[in-house]
Amino acid sequence: MHSTIKTTLLTALVCAAPAVMHAQFDFTVDGRQVQVHSFASQGFMYSNDNNYMTMNTSQGSFAMTDGGVNVSTSLTDKFRVGAQAYDHNVGVMGKGRITLDWAYGDYKLKSWFGIRAGKVKTVFGLYNDTQDIGSLHTWALLPQSAYPIDLRASTIAHVGGDIYGTIDFHKLGDLSYTVYAGSRPDDPTGGYTYGLKALGAYLNGVTGTQAGADLRWNNLIKDVTFGASFMDSPMDTTGTMQMSPLPKSPGTIQADDYHTAYYVSYKSGSLTVDAEYRIEKIWSTMKISIMPTMVVSSPYNTDACGSYGAVAYRISKRLELGTYRSWFYPTWTENRSLPSSHITDQVVTARVDLAKFWDLKIEGHFMDGYGNPQSLRGFYLQDNPDGLKPKTNMLVIRTGWNF
Amino acid sequence: MKYRQLLCVAAATSLLAVSSAMAADVKVIANSSVGAASVSADELKGVFLATKTSLSDGSHVEPVVLKGGATHEAFLKEYVGKTDSAFETYYRSLVFTGKASMPKALASDGDVVAYVAKTKGAIGYVSGGTATEGVKTLEVK
Repeated sequence: MHSTIKTTLLTALVCAAPAVMHAQFDFTVDGRQVQVHSFASQGFMYSNDNNYMTMNTSQGSFAMTDGGVNVSTSLTDKFRVGAQAYDHNVGVMGKGRITLDWAYGDYKLKSWFGIRAGKVKTVFGLYNDTQDIGSLHTWALLPQSAYPIDLRASTIAHVGGDIYGTIDFHKLGDLSYTVYAGSRPDDPTGGYTYGLKALGAYLNGVTGTQAGADLRWNNLIKDVTFGASFMDSPMDTTGTMQMSPLPKSPGTIQADDYHTAYYVSYKSGSLTVDAEYRIEKIWSTMKISIMPTMVVSSPYNTDACGSYGAVAYRISKRLELGTYRSWFYPTWTENRSLPSSHITDQVVTARVDLAKFWDLKIEGHFMDGYGNPQSLRGFYLQDNPDGLKPKTNMLVIRTGWNF
Repeated sequence: MKYRQLLCVAAATSLLAVSSAMAADVKVIANSSVGAASVSADELKGVFLATKTSLSDGSHVEPVVLKGGATHEAFLKEYVGKTDSAFETYYRSLVFTGKASMPKALASDGDVVAYVAKTKGAIGYVSGGTATEGVKTLEVK
C-alpha cells in the first residue's frame, strides 16, 4: 500500500511539469532542441476467485501504477542521445523502484544502418519494447501469453548494443532488421524471484546475457507487417534453495533460455488485427549444496508456447473497441486440458480517449486455467493459499496520461 | 444497361477528379538548404515516419507537421498512409523507446511556412493556396 501511494505520487509529479505546459516540454541548449516527455497510468483489478498478478484482486485492488519520464536531443544530424526513468508497482512487483528504463546513444549513418549503445529496449515480437506505454495500445493488459507483466524484466531491455536499419524495396515494401547483444538487467522485484519463493528458491538476483535478432517486412502486402524474432538469454542466479525434506541451503540455478516469436499485424484505417505465436524453451539445473561435499542437482526443462489473436476497431475519434483471445501452455507436450497446463484468456475492451493525452480502458477477462507453479504467469500459490480455482473472471480498469 | 454503365463511368471519373484535387490541395515545401527540387513518394513517407533523415541528394531533412486540420489529414492519407491518430501513436512508440523525437508541430499554414523558411533542413506541407515566399516547393514524384 505504502509503495503504491509513493509510486502514484511520484508518477503524478513526473507528469506535472509537461502537463502544466499543456504539451511535450521543449527547451533549447546551445542551439539544440531538448524534448521531455512523460507518461503514467493507474489501474484497478477485480477478480471473482483467484488473486492475480500478486494483487489482492479478489477484494479489488488499485496496486497497479506506473510512469516514466524521458529526455532526448540530437547532438548532430546523425547522432541522438536520450534516457528514460521508469517506476512501476504491480502488487508486490516493482515496489516503486525507479529504474533506468533506457539510456543510449544512437548513431544513424544511413536509413539502412544505424548503431545504438547503452541500455536499449529490446525489439522482440510486435510490442515487447513498447509494452509499458499504455497509450499505444487498445488493451489495459496486453496478452499475457506473449507479454507477461511478471516476467517483463527477462526480455524488456539489454545493456549492450544494437545494429539496425530499414531497407526500402519500393513497391515490395521495406525490410527492418535489428541485431543486438548485451547483458540482461536484474529485477529482484519481478515475478521470477517472487514466484520461485513458493517453490523454495530464494534468489539473490537473476543475471545473464541477451542476444538476438528481429526481422520484419512492412507492406509487402499493403498495410501488413509480418516478421520473426529470436532471443538467446541464458540465466545465472544464486540464492538459498530448499527441496523438502532437505534443509535450506545455498544453491545456484543455471538455465539456457531461448525465445522465438512469429507475428503478423494488419493496420488499415480504423482496423487493427494482430496475431503472435511464441515459443520459449528452458533447460535449467538447480544445484543445492546440502553439505560442502554433497551437491543435489535437479533439472527442470520447459517447452512453453503462447499465442494470441486480436482485433481492434476505432469507432470514432474517442472510442475504440477490441477483443483478443490468448493461449498459454507452460509445457506443450503435457496434457493441455488440465487447469494446471494451460491459461486461456478471452478479453473484451473499450478504450475511451478522454483527451489527446488521456485515455480510459475498461476491460473484461474470462480466463480458463492457471498454469503450473513454474509458469509464473499471474497465478501464485502464496497469493492463493486456499488453492487455485480453474476459472477466473476479472474486470480491469486503467487510465493513463502521456505528454 | 447502357445508362447504368454511363453512370458508373461518370461516378468513377468524378472520384478520380476529387482525389486529384485533394492531392493538389497539399504542397510540400522545404528550406532553401535542401538541394533537391523533387522528392519521391517513398522518400517523403520515410522522412515523415523518421526512417529517413536525408533525401537522395544527401540533403539532411527534418519533418515539420501541422497540429491538425484538413490539410494535415490529407497529407497523412496521401503520402504517409496513416490517420492522425495512427500517426500520433506511431511517433509516441518512437519517442518512448528513444528512437526519435516528436516532429515540430505548428498550428497553421503560415506558421509552417515561416518555420520552414528559417530552419535549415526543414520540410513540411501546407494547403495548395498558401503563399510560400522564402521556401521552395518540392514536386512529389
